[in-house]
Amino acid sequence: MVKIKIHTKYEGAWSNADELLLCLDTGSWRTERPVMDEEKCNYCGLCALYCPTQCMIDMEDQFVPNLDFCKGCGICAKECPRKAIRMLPEGEF
Amino acid sequence: MNMKYKGEMRTITGNAAAAYGAMLCRPDVVALYPITPQTEVVEQLSRFSADGLLDAEMVEVEGENSAMNIVAAAAISGGRVFTASSSWGLAFMYDALLQTSGFRAPVVMVNVNREMPGILAVSTGQQDMIGTRDVGWIQIIAEDCQEILDLVIMAYRLAEDFDIQVPVMVNYDGFYLSYLSEGVNIPAREEVDVFLAPLKEQPERPKLVPGGPLGCGTHGIEKGFVELRYKHCAAMERAKNKFDEIDRLFGESFERSYGGQIEEYYMEDAEIALLASGSASGTVKKVIDSKRKHGLKIGLVKLRMFRPFPSERLSRAFRGKKAIGVIDRSICFGWDCGPIYMELRALSSEIGLIPMMSFIDGLANMDISIVHIERMIDSVYAASQGKPYQRVNWVILEE
Repeated sequence: MVKIKIHTKYEGAWSNADELLLCLDTGSWRTERPVMDEEKCNYCGLCALYCPTQCMIDMEDQFVPNLDFCKGCGICAKECPRKAIRMLPEGEF
Repeated sequence: MNMKYKGEMRTITGNAAAAYGAMLCRPDVVALYPITPQTEVVEQLSRFSADGLLDAEMVEVEGENSAMNIVAAAAISGGRVFTASSSWGLAFMYDALLQTSGFRAPVVMVNVNREMPGILAVSTGQQDMIGTRDVGWIQIIAEDCQEILDLVIMAYRLAEDFDIQVPVMVNYDGFYLSYLSEGVNIPAREEVDVFLAPLKEQPERPKLVPGGPLGCGTHGIEKGFVELRYKHCAAMERAKNKFDEIDRLFGESFERSYGGQIEEYYMEDAEIALLASGSASGTVKKVIDSKRKHGLKIGLVKLRMFRPFPSERLSRAFRGKKAIGVIDRSICFGWDCGPIYMELRALSSEIGLIPMMSFIDGLANMDISIVHIERMIDSVYAASQGKPYQRVNWVILEE
């Protein structure tokens, strides 16, 4: 019999924000990547607040996106009051 | 626990039996919307609540869709819940039925079988249950008022079992059973408490807590979705034997037992057999009794569990028979036969290539009468003797 690989311990459609909320490979959806300008960033945290996948990592003096989950929506760049985030095409990396 | 089974005999309707069953299981949240022929369940439970017999949050809803969404949410928050509906009401909660089973919320509901739109039939028929056969719910069917009450209690043991966690729909024929008054043994509350106590000893299922890290139903595309479907199917398979076991345990506690997924009536030595479900099974048994007196070796399988389909037990019960007739109180559009017949045909390779006949009868409050059943048995017998037979028979319309 073919073995089945099980990923979560739950029977139902439960997601646990402490462990498996970001279980999808949303990073692979990205066509543009947010790039932070450390000079302009004043660590206000609006990008992290607006991020739909909640993938902004708090570095204690700035925020950087976790590229495993950032789907490249660009909301952080749009909302940043200091225009410290630019969206660059993935092909350039 | 060793105590003599008490209970109390009362003459009540099928709807009241369902309400008694629910009340005895002490649900935390009850959300109901009235619809013929289920309305009496709503009335009865409201009366229990007003009389202080039911300590549940009674939610007045604006429709069936809200009713199902409310009980599903309450169930994934850790509560025990109950709702009831029928026909159009069941159709109106269709998306919520899918949501509930996808959450694996252990909801118990009663569906009082009634015909479906667009012919405005305020009459019995299993089409509503059939229309929701693929929504991932466990569906069980009662034959009489006593079985309705007992099945509601068993349904909680099944739905809330940690290995199952699948919502259960208890079906019974509207009009024929909903308004039929019969002597029903109502178990004492503390006896039901004892029967349901093992549910508290199992691992706690995950639940929604405000501010907590757990969410439900919010993820699940790609592999996550497939994994949940896989687990759901596996749980449905486990539910078959679990239902047999619960039926046996129920018998030990309450001195009533029904055979689990199916009830076999004179099947051991039967040469031909019928497959029926719901209230008509009682009439079929009467006809079989009289046919047996005349030497005809006929048996009945009463289908008690429709989802999951008891394929293993049905295959075993029918193997070696010479011909089978299936009575359906609904239609399988597109296959030109009854739905239960169609599903039994899927077991042909296990049962053997024998004549199988579909009898469509009892739609829209037409009686599945003794005369009809005798005619069915005669044609199944003729088919077993190698005579030509008609595969699908609209018994009601036959001249």
